[in-house]
Amino acid sequence: MEIFYDVLIDPFVQMVEAPDFLLQVLWEGLVSGVLYALIALGFVLIFKSSRIFNFAQGIMVVFAALTLVGLHENGVPAWLAVPLTLGVMYVLAVGVERVVLRPLVGQPDIILFMATIGVTLFLIGFGEFVFGGENKVMITEALGIPTGAFEFYPFDGFLLIEQKDLTAVIMAVLLVIALITFLNRSSMGRAIRALGDDHQAALSVGISLSTIWVIVWFIAGVIALATGVVWGARAGVSFALEVIAYKALPVLMLGGLESVAGAIVGGLAIGILEKLFEIYWGQPFLGGNTETWFAFILALLVLLFRPQGLFGERIIERV
Amino acid sequence: MNMLVTPETRSNAATTAKEPEVLLDLENVSLSFGGVKAITNISFNIMKGEIRAIIGPNGAGKTSMLNVINGFYQPQEGKITFNGKTRRSMKPHLAVSQGIARTFQNVALFKGMSTLDNIMAGRATRMKSSMFWQILYYGPARNEEIEHRKKVEEIIDFLEIQHIRRTPVGKLPYGLQKRVELARALAMEPDLLLLDEPMAGMNLEEKEDMSRFILDVNDQLGTTIALIEHDMGVVMDLSDRVVVLDYGRKIADGPPEEVQSNQEVIDAYLGVSH
Amino acid sequence: MLYRTSGQFKTSYESDQALFPVKQDAWLLMVILVAAYVVFPLTASEFTFKALLVPVLIYSLAAMGLNILTGFAGQLSLGTAGFMGVGAYACYKLTTIFPEMNVLVALALSGLFSAAVGVAFGLPSLRIKGFYLAIATLASQFFLVWLFEKWAWLYNYNASGAIEVRTMEFFGIVVTGPTASPVTQYYFVLAVVTIICFAMINLTRGRYGRMWKAVRDMDIAAELVGINLMRAKLTAFAVSSYVVGIAGALLVFFWKGAAEPNLFDIPLSFQILFIAIIGGLGSILGNFLGAILIVALPVVLNVLPETLGISINSATMEHVNDMIVGALIIMFLIVEPHGLARFWALIREKLIIWPYPH
Repeated sequence: MEIFYDVLIDPFVQMVEAPDFLLQVLWEGLVSGVLYALIALGFVLIFKSSRIFNFAQGIMVVFAALTLVGLHENGVPAWLAVPLTLGVMYVLAVGVERVVLRPLVGQPDIILFMATIGVTLFLIGFGEFVFGGENKVMITEALGIPTGAFEFYPFDGFLLIEQKDLTAVIMAVLLVIALITFLNRSSMGRAIRALGDDHQAALSVGISLSTIWVIVWFIAGVIALATGVVWGARAGVSFALEVIAYKALPVLMLGGLESVAGAIVGGLAIGILEKLFEIYWGQPFLGGNTETWFAFILALLVLLFRPQGLFGERIIERV
Repeated sequence: MNMLVTPETRSNAATTAKEPEVLLDLENVSLSFGGVKAITNISFNIMKGEIRAIIGPNGAGKTSMLNVINGFYQPQEGKITFNGKTRRSMKPHLAVSQGIARTFQNVALFKGMSTLDNIMAGRATRMKSSMFWQILYYGPARNEEIEHRKKVEEIIDFLEIQHIRRTPVGKLPYGLQKRVELARALAMEPDLLLLDEPMAGMNLEEKEDMSRFILDVNDQLGTTIALIEHDMGVVMDLSDRVVVLDYGRKIADGPPEEVQSNQEVIDAYLGVSH
Repeated sequence: MLYRTSGQFKTSYESDQALFPVKQDAWLLMVILVAAYVVFPLTASEFTFKALLVPVLIYSLAAMGLNILTGFAGQLSLGTAGFMGVGAYACYKLTTIFPEMNVLVALALSGLFSAAVGVAFGLPSLRIKGFYLAIATLASQFFLVWLFEKWAWLYNYNASGAIEVRTMEFFGIVVTGPTASPVTQYYFVLAVVTIICFAMINLTRGRYGRMWKAVRDMDIAAELVGINLMRAKLTAFAVSSYVVGIAGALLVFFWKGAAEPNLFDIPLSFQILFIAIIGGLGSILGNFLGAILIVALPVVLNVLPETLGISINSATMEHVNDMIVGALIIMFLIVEPHGLARFWALIREKLIIWPYPH
């Protein structure tokens, strides 16, 4: 009986008894969740417009961050390094469209998926070849990201909010608003959504596939850079970061491959839940480090009961 | 070809000619998808040994009807009696072992496999040898493989597709794919064969070939056939009885000539407002 | 001329369904087997065994296991290394708990453990399809590696957290541990791979192979011709994980000699996947071709600059290797999605009709 109490009741008692600590945990989880959501958003954009499951999205985050830091290390000032990195991401988008997507158009989904795994490996090799494989420090100060911390005293307790985390959240919110406005208001955004709804139909009304692909991959690159900067500020920049990139995958399982809202809600939910689980269950009972798999198992369980994900519609199979 | 007609099936065909026996009976079947009604309260039966056509305009619920019969969709209401056994729902893979086989509107073959393998796959439910013997490819596994290969070769001869035995079906022209699909369905040795638009997209010559095969199957193997077809000429020539669907309801049922002159059927096809 | 098939008539289904209906294929296989069993052991250096021959065999076997699942049954898996780990740890535990157990028996049994875990993680495939399933297989990957790290019982509570293979004998000959000779280990691995390879060839050309391929090509149609999807998918997971598990056990026991949990992390999964893709999905032969390419490439890249007199550090060559493999994958998907195995098939076809163009 003891074990049941310890596992099922005690963690909740702890939450109520130390609400300030709970708030801290929730905040940490929220920040991770925001970043998962951002990476997942890049996936969703590309999947919506091209039905490509872009496995390289996570690596693009690291690659963008690495390029930015690498340029700065080689003497390029920050105000120039950012646009240069964006330029690199644009070249990457064009390159991917020319070399990978265009020759493979019309192939089965799985082939394109594997091609993006090839892109992943190439980017890892290329990034390390150019900038070296060692861990780098994000150029937080040069970019003007504040590094202090706010202290709050809720419930007679203590809550620490780092300014760079706050920056990350604000930046993510702005990015999401900009993106949604772009998708809903601009003609290019509408074209992208049209492609997502029906490929053939969109083509037949004269939407150019290759232009859109380049733009979408570039937007995904911009999102990757933003994510890379804020995540790099927390954890340093190296290809070890790819582990967090994989986190976006269970987010997609939960939220559905095509849902912008799903990516955001799924990302936040997974960020918060995995943190809660790690602190209140993982560390005391399982030896910790459960964040590597919790999100995957959670998504798996949800999918067993809702195969279409949280936001997907039920699919009626036809023959 | 004669090899296929076992004395048993021949006597079957003979008895059905004397006293018609119901093979499949549908009673008040209704099917809907989240509020959208695909089939509303339909009843009809199929007699042993006959060729039954199901016709109707696009979206009338014909394919849904076949999907209900072989268990792919589960109807919300109604009773289905096949070979004396009544059921409401059934797992689709069990349809074959009960004696129902079908072909599909958009050819549903295994594109990466050869014609031979596709037809052999139709015998999946009849092959039982254990994984142990399969790994050795010896003893029961090998004997079983050869025994079924003989049966499959008979079907290949019957449908005249010897020359494409080893070709991956994805590379075959459409007409031949339809024929391979029929071969696969025949390999299941069904009591009831469901054909979903077996002649869609075919030219005249291919249609004639296919009609001949359908009649041969019915004649020589004694297989009962239910088919969906849009070509009225074909329907009138092939079928013994016709059931007409429109907007998921049955609007007529009877011999071809009778259905053809039915006013409601004419209206449905010409689009008279209700 | 060498590959002329005319004149070889089949008079029975038995002979038509023989393993090698074309005589030349059988001869070619004999040549390869003689090379593998006689020529290589007589000529190869210790370095060649350790860096090329043994890893090629083990990776081929792992890729073959993955190919059963992904290439034949169409269920994309990104978690191969996790199941290799299950095989390796199971073998490790079996040989510590039952020290008297024959190595070969322990190996065969450890495959059963990975098969069981494979089936457990394969259960979602009954509800989840495509990309969602691919992500689901990553769940097993991350969870299993975490388990190898945290479950101290698995590595006998070693302070290092690693498993180390002790010296074991197979009918009086030392086959594992630091004192085992590379040739013995090579022969052992080769024998296991040969046996499993023939088993898989037989399995894939029979009833199970057709069942799996039918599910891969069109699962709905497979169900409607009477194939039990659950059975087909779960047997694919079981057989695949069995083979993969044995490959994992071989990897640790007959090649590396020791392993830490992170050996079975995602890079190994991808390496196996690349071998299967480059070799050819849905092919048995392709796994060997793919493994030769993926294993030999870094070795060549390391040796090549030296022989040319250029000094490049090995880390840089590793990055170059990643780039080349990534580019190769993309190239193969564009030029020949069916991989090296298809190249061979095309060459063979040309040889059969030579000297005529068609």
